[in-house]
Amino acid sequence: MTDALVIRGLNKTFRTPAVDNLDLTVRSGELYALLGPNGAGKTTTLRMVAGLLKPDTGSISVFGVDALADPMAAKQLIAWAPDEPMLYDRLTPLEYLEFVAGLWGVEAATARNRSEELLRMLGLWDERGRRCEGFSRGMKQKTALAGALIHDPKLLILDEPLTGLDAGAARQVKDLLTARTRAGATVILTTHILEVAERMADRIGIIQHGRLLIEGRLEELRAQAGDGDASLEDLFLDLTGQTEAAPA
Amino acid sequence: MIARPGSTLWLLAHEMRLGWRTLLARRGENRRGGWIALATVGLVTLAGGVPIGLMLRRVEITVTPTGILLADAILAVIFSLMLSQTLAAAADVLYDRGDLDLLFSSPIDPRKVLTVRFAAIALNLFLVFSAFLGPFLIPIALIGHPPWLSAFLVLASVAIAATACGLVVAMGMFAAIGPRRTRTIAQVTSALIGAGFFLVTQARNIFGAPVGSVWSDLVAAATAPGVVMPPVAALPLRALLGDPGAVAILLVTALAMFAGVNLWLGGRFAADSAAAAGAEASAVKARTRPVAFTGGAFAATVRKELRLMSRDAALMSQVMLRVLYLLPLAFVLVRNAGSQSLLALPGGAAALAFVAGQVAASLAWITVSAEDAPDLIAGAPTPIAIARRAKLAAAFIPVAALLAPILVTLIVLEPRVGLAATAGCAAATVANGLINIWYQRPAKRSEFRRRRGSSWISTLAEVAVGVCIAAATGLAAAGLAWALIPALLAGLLLLAVRRTDAQIAQALRVAAR
Repeated sequence: MTDALVIRGLNKTFRTPAVDNLDLTVRSGELYALLGPNGAGKTTTLRMVAGLLKPDTGSISVFGVDALADPMAAKQLIAWAPDEPMLYDRLTPLEYLEFVAGLWGVEAATARNRSEELLRMLGLWDERGRRCEGFSRGMKQKTALAGALIHDPKLLILDEPLTGLDAGAARQVKDLLTARTRAGATVILTTHILEVAERMADRIGIIQHGRLLIEGRLEELRAQAGDGDASLEDLFLDLTGQTEAAPA
Repeated sequence: MIARPGSTLWLLAHEMRLGWRTLLARRGENRRGGWIALATVGLVTLAGGVPIGLMLRRVEITVTPTGILLADAILAVIFSLMLSQTLAAAADVLYDRGDLDLLFSSPIDPRKVLTVRFAAIALNLFLVFSAFLGPFLIPIALIGHPPWLSAFLVLASVAIAATACGLVVAMGMFAAIGPRRTRTIAQVTSALIGAGFFLVTQARNIFGAPVGSVWSDLVAAATAPGVVMPPVAALPLRALLGDPGAVAILLVTALAMFAGVNLWLGGRFAADSAAAAGAEASAVKARTRPVAFTGGAFAATVRKELRLMSRDAALMSQVMLRVLYLLPLAFVLVRNAGSQSLLALPGGAAALAFVAGQVAASLAWITVSAEDAPDLIAGAPTPIAIARRAKLAAAFIPVAALLAPILVTLIVLEPRVGLAATAGCAAATVANGLINIWYQRPAKRSEFRRRRGSSWISTLAEVAVGVCIAAATGLAAAGLAWALIPALLAGLLLLAVRRTDAQIAQALRVAAR
């Protein structure tokens, strides 16, 4: 089966290297958690995959499509949901989904049905006629997520999808992501909530200074670290050199 | 900082520091624009203020009925313009909260916070109008009439009084029509007040009365035998000429109005401001209008832009202002079309083309550059050219809707003029739309009103191309082949400022750094 995402030798430098010769493979149908401290290069990497940023060198392949040579074909397969929801305050959720469906060329009847399905699933159906300007952070995040899913992407890229969500909303989002992967979609997410990665991810990758430090299933990471009982938090802090205890 | 933390002076200094830094930051973004503005002020001072100052050096202005009327009229115009600005600014204080939540959550009396914010509105008005009048006033006063510098104090009095009145009107609206509608109505009212004097002067054109002048009627009435003007009417002129007593009366009256409004409405304003937070959004009724889901990326983008434009009160007030300027023009054109007036028709057609271009430029600037979700569009499998075309189409639809009745009537009554005006309007609209694509400056819609200034090249290009197309339209409407020359010039200007997709992308990358 073709891998969902294959990154080879990816480089991006702003003032300093943000992504440094990164190689990464995400298999089709898995939920991959990309972890790393602030400034590690996670978002830069994902923005390059989503076609929002041009790499200096390297290659990106999405389900076999060269994302740099044929960005439109790659974008058709991808959904990108950043930590700051990409919304229009003065549109209603339904109008927003209509717009996003238009951008991805989703057929009208399909878009209408999928909008209702997604808004109901995310508990936003009763709010479909209200403008987003009055929404809470969580409602905005869920609306943006519905937008990301409206074209039924094969590869869903989520940057900090659970930031600012209350427990109920976080559960809805997690359930939705699990359902998508069961349905065959591939999900890549970044998160600082390591328990989420620990519980949900099929595989985990940790990057720092734009390089992949380690990747694999949790037990593989433990084996590589030589500590069979370590929690992901312990492994993460150990690998990224953040083990110093806070002053009492 | 010398003032005691938490005092009114301390807060005022804080406001001014923020304002100054914002100004510096803007200059930093466009240093060349700053130098051009400075050079323009210098040029106006040398070419306008100094010659006028030399001309007026030996002229002694006395207090006559005509002089009184002139001074009153000038101050009334300035007051109305300031009032329109204050009204919009007062609505912004209610809704664009900025750091109000932080200040209100501090143990500082909210009245004090608002007093400072109101004072900042007045100060801003004073500085803006001083910047326009200064290049004329300062040389005139320094060359021959030093007492006339008191005009700045008169200007300050008018700014303070206009701020007080604007706040009363905004509060009245808030009480009468509620938090949500206040913002929209305040924006529209401010546009109406701003255009009020223009409409009054054009009343005769609109209603087709015999040609005459409102001003000459007023002068005739004021100078008629037996008419005695009340002493208060002479206060503005006396103050402008440097009479300290008159200046003091105006200043004290304005300050008293300001203090009275603060005492009377300050607490209420603080409460309403708190109520307005979120009220604007929550008061929007949930209305599930049918959503089309048809037509692909182009149609979806056009629909989205039209929705966002129609829900933007500030933008609508700007467009309404332009429409108000269009109205008298339309009346002149249509009336003269029946009477075969040879001069008014080509001139009107030219003006129509120019105004159409300006309205299109305003709307295209918003649709093209104000984008809340640029990454969403960049990440979509839709070629950027389609998105741009859709945004331009969305900007052109309201222009076409506004102009269609005028142009159709013209074509029916005067086919040559009508066709020339239609071609001119279309050309000006498309040209200004393209300029806004070439010189786009993306920003979030929410931030847009603070940093909406387009580049000086695009502003100059819009005006220059607009003038050329207007001239071509006028000449074509008159049936003259000379129309080709300005039309050609407009084309050459467009070619000169044109940017390729790669150049646009490069400019956007530089701007994003």
